[in-house]
Amino acid sequence: MSVADALWRFPSAMMAWRNLGRNRMRTALAALGIVIGVVAISSLGMAGVALQQQATSNLGSLTNQVSVSAGQDSDYDGVTEEQVEEIRSIITDAEVIPQKTNSTTVSSRGQEAYVSVTGVTDAAALYDVSRGTAPERLQTGALISNSTAQQLGLELGDPVEYDGHLYRIRGFIDSGSGFGPGGGRGELVVPISGLADQDHYDSVTIIADSGDAATETADTLEEHFNTDGRDEEEVLRVSSYASVQENIGSFLNTLQLALLGIGGISLVVASVAILNVMLMSTVERRGEIGVLRAVGIRRGEVLRMILTEATFLGTLGGLVGATCSLAVGAVMFQVVAGDPAGVLQWASARYLLYGFAFAVFASVLSGLYPAWKAANDSPVEALRG
Amino acid sequence: MSVIELDDVVKRYESGAQTVTALKGVDFHADRGEMVTIIGPSGSGKSTMLNMIGLLDTPTSGSVRLDDHDVTDFTEDELTEERRTNLGFVFQDFHLLPMLSAVENVELPSVWDTSVDRRDRAIDLLKRVGLGDRLDHTPDELSGGQQQRVAIARSLINEPDILLADEPTGNLDQDTGRTILEEVTRLKEEENIAVVAVTHDEQMLDYTDRTVRIVDGVIQS
Ligand SMILES: Nc1ncnc2c1ncn2[C@@H]1O[C@H](COP(=O)(O)OP(=O)(O)OP(=O)(O)O)[C@@H](O)[C@H]1O
Ligand SMILES: [Mg+2]
Repeated sequence: MSVADALWRFPSAMMAWRNLGRNRMRTALAALGIVIGVVAISSLGMAGVALQQQATSNLGSLTNQVSVSAGQDSDYDGVTEEQVEEIRSIITDAEVIPQKTNSTTVSSRGQEAYVSVTGVTDAAALYDVSRGTAPERLQTGALISNSTAQQLGLELGDPVEYDGHLYRIRGFIDSGSGFGPGGGRGELVVPISGLADQDHYDSVTIIADSGDAATETADTLEEHFNTDGRDEEEVLRVSSYASVQENIGSFLNTLQLALLGIGGISLVVASVAILNVMLMSTVERRGEIGVLRAVGIRRGEVLRMILTEATFLGTLGGLVGATCSLAVGAVMFQVVAGDPAGVLQWASARYLLYGFAFAVFASVLSGLYPAWKAANDSPVEALRG
Repeated sequence: MSVIELDDVVKRYESGAQTVTALKGVDFHADRGEMVTIIGPSGSGKSTMLNMIGLLDTPTSGSVRLDDHDVTDFTEDELTEERRTNLGFVFQDFHLLPMLSAVENVELPSVWDTSVDRRDRAIDLLKRVGLGDRLDHTPDELSGGQQQRVAIARSLINEPDILLADEPTGNLDQDTGRTILEEVTRLKEEENIAVVAVTHDEQMLDYTDRTVRIVDGVIQS
């Protein structure tokens, strides 16, 4: 028994398959509409995921941090020792790291680099080093950013000068992250004693366990320092990156919805194309369907046959579309995140499934009316043509 | 006993303000093993009458009896069921499905009945109409006469009691028409069925057992 004979056991599927094969060009064009719709919806969805992951990985551990500096209502030009103690007394479950900052020009072998200078004791908590070490109690040496070290040809153990003191380089700071203190500029980290002529701390970084804890810490500090009775004042400026991430996150969510919306519209357009194709082909086959009804094929069977056609179209278009989207997604992840395999994780791969499911659903939906119309056509009228 | 009977059948078509009465009280019957030919001028109501006999349409008034059962008030689904089990149709322009082979076309009326395997009967019927060597040909690979033979085989697949044919030789030349009529006559006797045919073809009268003439919706006796 041949494949065709076996298929014949499922007459609706068999008839639908043969009908689609009759006008391959039209079938291909209808499926192409679906393919475009699926590619649009899947790849726009995956683009959203790629952007979101990119943004999150750029912010990295910074989302756990709260940064405190002097506010506009402060009597001082920095955060005072007393205020740091006060912060330490109310924030017990997080590290509190006061810093003093300045900027200077570092020179070596005739090369100069403008860097920001940070005086801090607990360097280990704030900095990741690619070579050397970041001590928990920085008292003698210095850390310098990778890029600056390369620019000046500095090695571990080389001396750098700041404010008349020499410091030996103990580690190179990983300058991978784009955000964070210092921005893209080079950075020099020295013991806090190196900036002793500055009375107050320029900022205090508090490192919490999580983004949520950081937000909570920020709220606690706001309430403690910036609420005097019923008045709002800003003694300390408290900022947390968690809220930045939240903002970016909600922006990206909106963006993703908009992208999916655009994809959805193209799928609606594709469904209308299928509706049109199905309607055309049932109108064309009106006489044939009349014969089917005359020889005793039930209305439900005619309905099923045409719905099966629409389902095949949707499945075909959906499969091709999902395959194309996978390729598009891999390219997108390569460009945005530098890793094409990222497309395979569920967060983005599910958009392939959504696209496919939507394609089949939309096709069946747009097959309903033509199928219903063909099934309920009077056989006499249909045969008269 | 008649296998199909029309009793005082009236069929009116209302389109807007105009009313056309295509059948004006028609009585008709056909028996097993009998070939009845309906003749009459164009527009006299022949096709309309055949549609009543074929349970494709329902009368405005009067009654239709199939095998002594009143089917006048049957629903569309019940009529479909009766058509599949008791009636066979042959059309002027064959109406084979172009994407199916000859044997698949013959099987078509029975394929949704998964309980029965009609492949053997389909092959047998095609052999009996002389197309045993054309089983896997599609309609566009067959001549008009061959296509009509496939259509006849298809009409008999479900072992009907009645074969209905609206101008079955209308699209065929004289000689081919004659062989088709011989085929139908032979099968009518072999299967003991009633054949009701509408025609303009004079030579069909050579094969018919009885002729019914209709003029302007009224049977002339
Ligand atoms: N669906 C319809 N709506 C309106 N009038 C109809 C309809 N079907 C048939 N008629 C009318 O009923 C009459 C009988 O038509 P019918 O098709 O039965 O004629 P006929 O005898 O088969 O003619 P011919 O030999 O040309 O095929 C005609 O006047 C026709 O216009
Ligand atoms: Mg007619």
